[in-house]
Amino acid sequence: MKKIVVLTFLFVSSVLSLHAQASDANGWPGTLKGGFRIQKAQKLYWENGFAFDYASPKILDSRIHFGASYETSRLGSALGSNAIKQDNYLVSAAYHFRHQKALQPFARLNVGYFHADYEDALFDVLPNSAFLTSIDVGLMYEFKIPLTLSLSAGYNLNAGTGVAGPGTLFPVFYQMSILYTIF
Amino acid sequence: MNTKYLFLSLLLVLTACTQSPDINNVTMLDGDQIFDPSLYHPERYLVSAAIANPNTVQKNTPVVIAVHGYSATTFEWDEFRTFADAKGDILVSQVLLGGHGRTYAEFKKSTWEDWQEPILTEYNALRAKGYTNINFAGSSTACPLVMDLIKKGKVVGLKHLFFVDPIVVSSDKMLTLIGLVGPMMGYIETTNTPAEEGHWYHFRPQETLNQMMKLIDLSRKELQAGFKLPVGTQLKIYKSIKDPSADPVSAVLIYKGLTNSDGSKIAVEMIDSELHVMTRLSGRDNVTQHDRDNQMHIFDDLYGILKE
Repeated sequence: MKKIVVLTFLFVSSVLSLHAQASDANGWPGTLKGGFRIQKAQKLYWENGFAFDYASPKILDSRIHFGASYETSRLGSALGSNAIKQDNYLVSAAYHFRHQKALQPFARLNVGYFHADYEDALFDVLPNSAFLTSIDVGLMYEFKIPLTLSLSAGYNLNAGTGVAGPGTLFPVFYQMSILYTIF
Repeated sequence: MNTKYLFLSLLLVLTACTQSPDINNVTMLDGDQIFDPSLYHPERYLVSAAIANPNTVQKNTPVVIAVHGYSATTFEWDEFRTFADAKGDILVSQVLLGGHGRTYAEFKKSTWEDWQEPILTEYNALRAKGYTNINFAGSSTACPLVMDLIKKGKVVGLKHLFFVDPIVVSSDKMLTLIGLVGPMMGYIETTNTPAEEGHWYHFRPQETLNQMMKLIDLSRKELQAGFKLPVGTQLKIYKSIKDPSADPVSAVLIYKGLTNSDGSKIAVEMIDSELHVMTRLSGRDNVTQHDRDNQMHIFDDLYGILKE
């Protein structure tokens, strides 16, 4: 756990230091944001982590945002509790409406991987991982300071069913991301 | 144009909210003719009612308080009762949950605390009569009900707990949205076999699904925080690995959250089965030899533990 925290801190601070690059519209091709993501599954865990968002005026005039995120109950409900330790790795593509404005509604498609650690060989017989496919819709707001707030509600298309899939992969989730504009 | 659609959808919602199910009184438990038999003859189902003044031998005989799950009746533990009676040296008290085995209207207004109450009543009655070896066997929803009693310190003297397919996480994840969609649905209709009809409610009011969600959410959080069994109480879980009602991960949550009084782990057996409540086969279609083997294994194992 300590290793994860230290590595994450080093990674994030080194990425943030890239801000030294000037975000010149003619030079650097796009905007990269990075920050924290807080996520709650409806009637289940807080799974928190990190998110990145990238858009370029060269790619559909910044209408499409590409993202990557990692959320885990290890940084949420499982901290100091018996909640199951589970990890979500996602990459995404989102369509942003009103892309030139500060307040942008978006619709996003996410794909990725889910893994739960049941911690005992007794439960090796149960499915504990799955590919993730989800959609979420929400709002992104770009402040004048280099911070962006993103709020959305989403739906996992392959939640567990008791006969297939991990039991703690629930369908409905809500997320909030606070992103810093790196460049 | 917009107001017309708004009006129509509101009307639809309102209609759904006020709908009552079409209950067949002749065939359905939900009606006013079929009731759980323990309501007519408690002495045939409850040990506290059957034996007015137990002698010393009876008081030391293992008693199992057998409790059914959501929407079911004492029928769910009838086969175990038959098994136990054939053995002749254990007593079984089949408890009917509050609001269950009666009518749709009574079910609809019941809370999970109402469901739970008869378990505590029978436990206290057996203690008052001097039984020294009181145990518990529960299926599905009975398990979070009794875990809550234990967490709150209301039940401290149970020797053995046996959970069959306990539910802490529902297999049907749409239950998580019951607060939102429930009022629009009113109720859901189940598909009982003809032999099951009369032993399970046919219709499930959304209010009771809400209660179910509240109960399992509470149970999950209590396990998350962690608690211990009282000294002298042991637990064994029998969980089918594919269960359309109680997600098998429920066993993981109980294993992680509830330990013996000394902090050691409880016993869990994950069983190759696709049934919910593997100990009840009566009334099902397509029962296989494997299902029968599983049932007998659980009964034998449970009995063996009681007689240790």
